Amino acid sequence: MDERWGLTPMVKVEVVVSGEDAEVVADLFATAGAVGFTAVANVSGVGHGGAHQGRLAFNDKNALALLMVVLPPDGVDGLLDGLRSLLSERPGVLFVSDAFVSRPEYFR
Amino acid sequence: MTARAFSAGHVVALVERATRPVPLLWPLGSAVAVNPLWDLRSQPFPTALAHARRTLGIAGLPSADVLADAFESGRVTVADLEAALEDHDRGRLAAIAPDALRSLEQGSVVATVLERHEQLVDASLATAVDREVAKYCAAYVGGLVTGPAAGATGFFASWRSAVEADPAGRRLGVDALLDSVDGGPEAVIATVLARLGLDEPGAVDELTGQSTRLPGWAAHAKWRSRWAAPDHAGPALGLVDYLAVRLVYDLAALVQLGHRPGRGSCCDHVRLAAPGPVPVPSPRVVGGQTGRRLAELDPDVAGMVWLTAYEGHYRDGLLAALERPAARAPARAPLAQVVCCIDARSEGLRRHLEALGDYETFGFAGFFGVPARVWPFAGSGPVDLLPVLLHPSVELTEQPADDAVGVARLAGLRQLAAVGSAVTSTREGTIAPYLLAEAGGLGLGPLTVLRTVAPARFDRLRRRVVQRFAPPVDVHPVLDGPGAPDDTEQALFVETALRTMGLTDGFAPVVVLCGHGSTTENNPYGSALDCGACGAARGGTSARVAAAMCNRAEVRKLLAARGIVVPVETVFVAAEHDTATDTVTLFPPAGMAPVNRDRLARIGRDLARAGAEVAEERAATLPGTGRRPRGRSVAEQLVARSTDWAQVQPEWGLARCAGLVIGPRRLTVGVDLERRVFLHSYEPDTDPDGSALEAILTGPMVVAQWISAAYYHSAVDPDVLGAGDKVAHNVVAGIGVYQGAGGDLRLGLPRQAVFDGSSLYHEPMRLLVLVAAPRARVDAVVARNPVVAELADGEWVHLAVRDADRTWLRQPGGGWRPWTRRRDSEDPPATTQCAADARDHGEENARG
Repeated sequence: MDERWGLTPMVKVEVVVSGEDAEVVADLFATAGAVGFTAVANVSGVGHGGAHQGRLAFNDKNALALLMVVLPPDGVDGLLDGLRSLLSERPGVLFVSDAFVSRPEYFR
Repeated sequence: MTARAFSAGHVVALVERATRPVPLLWPLGSAVAVNPLWDLRSQPFPTALAHARRTLGIAGLPSADVLADAFESGRVTVADLEAALEDHDRGRLAAIAPDALRSLEQGSVVATVLERHEQLVDASLATAVDREVAKYCAAYVGGLVTGPAAGATGFFASWRSAVEADPAGRRLGVDALLDSVDGGPEAVIATVLARLGLDEPGAVDELTGQSTRLPGWAAHAKWRSRWAAPDHAGPALGLVDYLAVRLVYDLAALVQLGHRPGRGSCCDHVRLAAPGPVPVPSPRVVGGQTGRRLAELDPDVAGMVWLTAYEGHYRDGLLAALERPAARAPARAPLAQVVCCIDARSEGLRRHLEALGDYETFGFAGFFGVPARVWPFAGSGPVDLLPVLLHPSVELTEQPADDAVGVARLAGLRQLAAVGSAVTSTREGTIAPYLLAEAGGLGLGPLTVLRTVAPARFDRLRRRVVQRFAPPVDVHPVLDGPGAPDDTEQALFVETALRTMGLTDGFAPVVVLCGHGSTTENNPYGSALDCGACGAARGGTSARVAAAMCNRAEVRKLLAARGIVVPVETVFVAAEHDTATDTVTLFPPAGMAPVNRDRLARIGRDLARAGAEVAEERAATLPGTGRRPRGRSVAEQLVARSTDWAQVQPEWGLARCAGLVIGPRRLTVGVDLERRVFLHSYEPDTDPDGSALEAILTGPMVVAQWISAAYYHSAVDPDVLGAGDKVAHNVVAGIGVYQGAGGDLRLGLPRQAVFDGSSLYHEPMRLLVLVAAPRARVDAVVARNPVVAELADGEWVHLAVRDADRTWLRQPGGGWRPWTRRRDSEDPPATTQCAADARDHGEENARG
């Protein structure tokens, strides 16, 4: 419990991948015991491979997707194993950061 | 020795990486044509082929016989080969990556530990494992194995609960292993990989080897895991579950065979030979200096040069034909604008309709830009009417125009379904089929004979009976009820479609939105002949939805505010082109003005006339369809084909498809493209920011590439990536077919879709994509869309641009070079001007 705010520490994992890989990332979240996650389809930006267009009119699979999950720290190792392995061959980026939540039971 | 176990998350990622060479297989009800090597597209095409040779065992290129015959017939010339050799010499062909070439030279395929171990011992347990795995897959998807352990779900749990009592499993020693491989499928995979002593690269190879032993079942599992909607009905056979089952069997077999796992295990050094070099025609076939130059090349490189020459011949012919002045300008004040699907089969209908003089035609993906899940009236469930690259964003229902008739139809269909269900369940019983034959034989026997010898007559009889019990009723989509998209959303769909195809002003009094479908009988692959842009379903419903949206006053008001003013008198009318019979059905909206009813009557007659001319063209190519056998007209013959339950080639579908033209119709009008070219309308002048072009290149171009690649690979590797002979097909739970009594599901298209007897009918080529747009605009779209860059720069498609009256060819990796017309492409054999049309309809043209 964070002493100042009365919050519970968690780990937030954010992944930006091709829309085609969103399903496997969702599988990885589920395998790590996540009970929910957030997905934002059709995100745009500039990365290692140059600019990426956001929403495509007739293709949901080949735009980028941002997926976010918050997990207790003890559930993260396996997820990171999987994401590292996936991103060794697939385009995408991974961000891991501390997070604090007010209702920890929502994340277990 | 046991290696460190992978975590569950790591296993999921390993499975994903390992199964990238595995194709995708959609269920038969929505048999989407798919590029089987889609997940290898981050590699250039030749490198991906090399990868697929080591994993799937395919050749990937047209056979030496096909190419030699093409050379003999003039379909490939010395000039074509010289041009391809020059492209190779100048680095203008996508090259095979050096490590892929080395792997091929080393001559080994990716193999499982069991396959390698069996090279050392006299055993064939891998085949027995395949048999058992296929048995359980079929039982699971067929709903026969439904007793998972308490609280568990999925294929692995179901298999585990069933295999303990299975003597075949005991013979392989599976029962002795079950206690030691505990947990869910991810944990089981981790345990087996650890017991085999495999590190990460070894684990990926093992899982690749496992997934390519029965690529059909793996392809179904991959579709289910990665592409199926989460709420898709039926047993979910997922990839991780599938591989877990396979690995347990393999581990049991290895234990039986005394395999010692771990680093330095007995079979570490064993390699399985890859298929030999891709065969190419002997240099002697070509002879001369060209033959000597071909002989100097590595066989895999020579194969690519031959393919490039084969493709270049068609490309040069098409581009030369399109450089000629159009034989006919599009009608300026047309009676109607007809928007057909981009499907290559629409080209014939458009060409012949335009030849009648008062028509302007457009091409747009047959879902007309509305990504809808539709609950058809009196249907058995929802249908996703959109390309599989999209998720449905709206859900629509249909309702009958006349409630009383609708109620009568529903009641009648229920009665007929009850009779059908009773007959089916009787047929599937043990004793009952004999009683059914005794009791019903007198009645059913003659019907069966009639169905066989006079299919068209039987079809008419059946229709009459159905109509007697279930009267037909007009239906229309519900666009203003609860759950329907709001006016703004509908206007956005319509605006996107109109702007993308460049139809934003100059509306004709009637605009026909024409979807397409194919009527066939007793054809498991029937949906493969329907509209790919509608998720392999018939396109009439999509056309009705889009036309109804276009006719709504609320939508038109919003369109006008966005700068697209549709005249009040313009009416949008839905239609459906039956590509098996070349008949077109119109679905006029209710309450049409009398003047438009008269116009529509003429449009209907003209569509019938155009369809009849297309039918004549097609009949000349269909096996067994003569000019007038037994006095039957071509139209009658085509109807008979489409209703014949023994007919394996109701139509050619998209066989021989070769190109996609993205541009205004004036670029192609008057040229006979022989129903081989997808046509997507695009007006470069109204798309300065390239957003419409981007939508086309990332959507319809991808769909066209999938179709082209499905035909290509079904033609060049029919044994691995084709569905085999229709005559011996057995349908498995609606998800695929066996060739014969069991084994693996077949991938790709049936043999009869690409072969005419023993000869190849389809011409296997990569899709030629010609875009009418400035090069800089195309470059910008390519740069911000990796999927387009992979396809264009990896030479999965050949991208060409018509820019300021010059044609440019894209180089692998980027950049353009001008296309120059060769002297020997003056009279291209594959693409000709519409001389006959111009002659037949010269007077009408002058008037139009």
